[in-house]
Amino acid sequence: MNLAKLSFMNFKASFKNYVSLIVSLAFTVLIIFNFFNLMDSSVMESLGKINSQNIKIVIQCVIVVLCCFMFFFIWYATNVFLTKRKKEIGVYVFMGLTNQRIGKLYMLETMMIGLVALIMGIGFGILISQLFTMILVTISDIEVNLSFEISLSAILWSGLIYFIVYMIFVFKGYINLVSSSVLDMVSANRQNEYVKQNKVILFLKAILGIMILILGYYYAIKEGGMETMANALLAVVLVIIGVYLLFGGFIPLVYQTLASNKRFLYKKQRTLWINQIIFRMKKNYRTYAIVTVLMICAVTALATGVAMHERCQMIHDFENVYTYQIFSQKDNLQNEFTKVIEEHNDIQYSSYIEMLQVEGSFASTTHQKNTFALIPYSQLKELAQDSHQTFELKQPQDDEVIDLSHQYILSLITTDELEDIQIQNQVYNTIQRTTVPYLGYLQEQVSFYCVSDDEYQRLKSTETSLYVYNYKIENTKMLNESTEDIQQHQDCAGLIKVDPQNDSNQWIKMLYPVCIFMFMVFIFASGSIIFMKLYNDAFEEKERYRVLRKIGIGTKTLRAGVQKELLLTYIVPFLLMSLSSYFSVHALANMMQTDLLSVNILSVGVIAIFFVICYGLSVVIYCQNAGIYEKRMS
Amino acid sequence: MDKKKVVEIKGLVKNYGTRGFQTRVLKGIDLTIYENDFIAIMGPSGSGKTTLLNILSTIDKPTQGTVLLDGKDVTKLKNEELSQIRRDKIGFIFQDYNLLDTMTLQDNIALPLSLNGVSSQVCISKCQTLAQIFGLKEHLKKYPYQLSGGQKQRGATCRALISEPEIIFADEPTGALDSKSSRDLLERLKMVNDEGKATILMVTHDALSASYAKDVYILSDGMVKCRLTRGDSRKEFYDRIIDMQVSMGSDFS
Ligand SMILES: Nc1ncnc2c1ncn2[C@@H]1O[C@H](COP(=O)(O)OP(=O)(O)O)[C@@H](O)[C@H]1O
Ligand SMILES: [Mg+2]
Repeated sequence: MNLAKLSFMNFKASFKNYVSLIVSLAFTVLIIFNFFNLMDSSVMESLGKINSQNIKIVIQCVIVVLCCFMFFFIWYATNVFLTKRKKEIGVYVFMGLTNQRIGKLYMLETMMIGLVALIMGIGFGILISQLFTMILVTISDIEVNLSFEISLSAILWSGLIYFIVYMIFVFKGYINLVSSSVLDMVSANRQNEYVKQNKVILFLKAILGIMILILGYYYAIKEGGMETMANALLAVVLVIIGVYLLFGGFIPLVYQTLASNKRFLYKKQRTLWINQIIFRMKKNYRTYAIVTVLMICAVTALATGVAMHERCQMIHDFENVYTYQIFSQKDNLQNEFTKVIEEHNDIQYSSYIEMLQVEGSFASTTHQKNTFALIPYSQLKELAQDSHQTFELKQPQDDEVIDLSHQYILSLITTDELEDIQIQNQVYNTIQRTTVPYLGYLQEQVSFYCVSDDEYQRLKSTETSLYVYNYKIENTKMLNESTEDIQQHQDCAGLIKVDPQNDSNQWIKMLYPVCIFMFMVFIFASGSIIFMKLYNDAFEEKERYRVLRKIGIGTKTLRAGVQKELLLTYIVPFLLMSLSSYFSVHALANMMQTDLLSVNILSVGVIAIFFVICYGLSVVIYCQNAGIYEKRMS
Repeated sequence: MDKKKVVEIKGLVKNYGTRGFQTRVLKGIDLTIYENDFIAIMGPSGSGKTTLLNILSTIDKPTQGTVLLDGKDVTKLKNEELSQIRRDKIGFIFQDYNLLDTMTLQDNIALPLSLNGVSSQVCISKCQTLAQIFGLKEHLKKYPYQLSGGQKQRGATCRALISEPEIIFADEPTGALDSKSSRDLLERLKMVNDEGKATILMVTHDALSASYAKDVYILSDGMVKCRLTRGDSRKEFYDRIIDMQVSMGSDFS
């Protein structure tokens, strides 16, 4: 019988065992294909040039992240598969096959798996691509026309990337098989040395890990100016190192200490599962650390998406307080402009204000000239009333000003210091800052300061005033009907019209579903990594559980031990993730000036639910794979 | 005799293989084990010693016949009950030790007791006592891979004894040991038995090991061929076993 035939028979016979592998591989292909397809779709064109460019950059970043992710995932999946197959393949050694031939057999088999996964991934990818785009567009609240389309280049690209990554690991497995000895392949029961790790080293690692982690948390929530970005980066690095050291030091130390306290250990099933965890720890701690970091990323990604979405909405609302903002040299033109607009549109509300444009500078950097727009306090109060906005500003003294600021998508400066300004050698003390959009879009473009009425009158004698007339119309779809009339009005010196349809931040909205998506992918990955690890480990436990059953340890006791062991396996990364995510989300909340605690809690809750499901499945499958329910013992 | 019967075997038959291709390994065995017995079962390789022991220790089921353990017919019990019997009434010593490599010797010894819900204080003190008897005091904190074969087997014996079972089943306990370690283990087993602390059924193909027992049954061709009982001297008993082996002419290995 030739190799191809043999491998095909193998493949067919054990297809059931491959299902989980194929599904997870197909899943990664499906995701990457969908992003490639999205990038080529006509949805992009209809978003306008700048938006589509920005979204394409976002998608490219996502694809890069997903490719890295696919790389590790395939590494992991094939590795798990290889160790499992290695034992079965050992049989062929007795059939007289050489390592080379066994390696080739493995290659052929895994290539078949890979091919099936690829076809399934692309196939299902095409099937759901429409749904995927639709969901993405719906969640991001972008208005585009959808049409069914499949990009050939998306198929080729996703297929090619997957193929390259997959072949790397197929080849790695081949090398591994060719170079491994017969003994390795037949029995993976090598002596397990170094069960217990050196306590001093563990202790040092633990102390170092805790310190680094705390330092990371500190940098994450530390408020600051321009150094915030560097702090955030530092925090990321520190938290990752800290998590590694914690799993490599602190956690084994805790378990070992518990295990050496025999009065504690010899109760319930503790002897079984605590020793088991200690034994596994040295081999598995990297996996747990990766999973923890992956989950922190997931929660942070989700929080970023939600925050971006909220900020965008806020900025959108900020800009759209008025539809028209008309400038004029003359005052008291409210009624005239109202008349002009009402020819075609209904006015929802309107306001009016007088402003002075002056040269000035910030008190700290006097050599840098800025243009400030000053407005008098009492008029601002009136404007707030007319435009139905809150007004909680203190009356400024003659040498004081109020900063009328605006919303940012993301601000790296997390300290909230007020900067004094200087106009004509007079320093004004900034007493307050507000982000209420009194002047809507204009407030975003110009640095407004509110001064006392007396001071305004004094400054007015040297500069000329400009008058701003603001209107919000009922039906913003009709906004172009009135623009010409306004512009042709003799006293109109300038017009700003704000079209809610024409939002240059639309691409950021796209981030929202993408982030939700990344969250789900990361969570799915972390759950399945632990799951696969346990799945694989369980086979190695078979012999141990056989001994235990022989000496009369009942199924119930063994299962209770497994339950505790697996519970701890899932819960420790989960807890560490929950703690760490609090800090990372908090840092993000500072930068985005959004309250993200509820998002944090929600995402941790989602992970908890997913992990409970994984845990339940793991217990059932672990018990099965470890042969706890088997009757035969001899 | 007013001694308590621990195990009573009647007409035990065991077939292997599927219908049509069956081989009868045990061909009707009757045997009674009383409290504080130390019985060795000898026989050539393939004579069914392990099969017999597996059936007695409820790991395997007989084709015919009954096995009464402490008055209960174990061939008719469900799995859960069998586990319970194995846990509470039987102690095991295997040829390949079967200590768990994930835990220290002390944890290995205390394992059956601690999983039985016995207070941890009792587990610790019993473990200490047994370790003292078997000369393992200094090795309790070590892992199996750090111990010699003899130490491992003595540890396994401690594990078998810790729950004070009705009977200890030992399948070639010295099979993987050098002669010094073998003697060391057997001396201690004999001592425990002499002190009235254990009833032992041991399977072996080695005459020297068998000579530590009180009674030796020779198993051949699936049946008990004869029974030898020790007198005062172990040396003289050993010679008698060898003579018997020679007279039977079978290859004991
Ligand atoms: N599970 C089994 N299936 C079929 N035959 C078996 C099985 N176990 C043992 N045998 C056969 O039963 C006979 C007795 O085996 P065993 O009890 O292991 O002998 P001993 O321990 O005395 O060397 C041998 O011929 C062996 O081949
Ligand atoms: Mg045997």
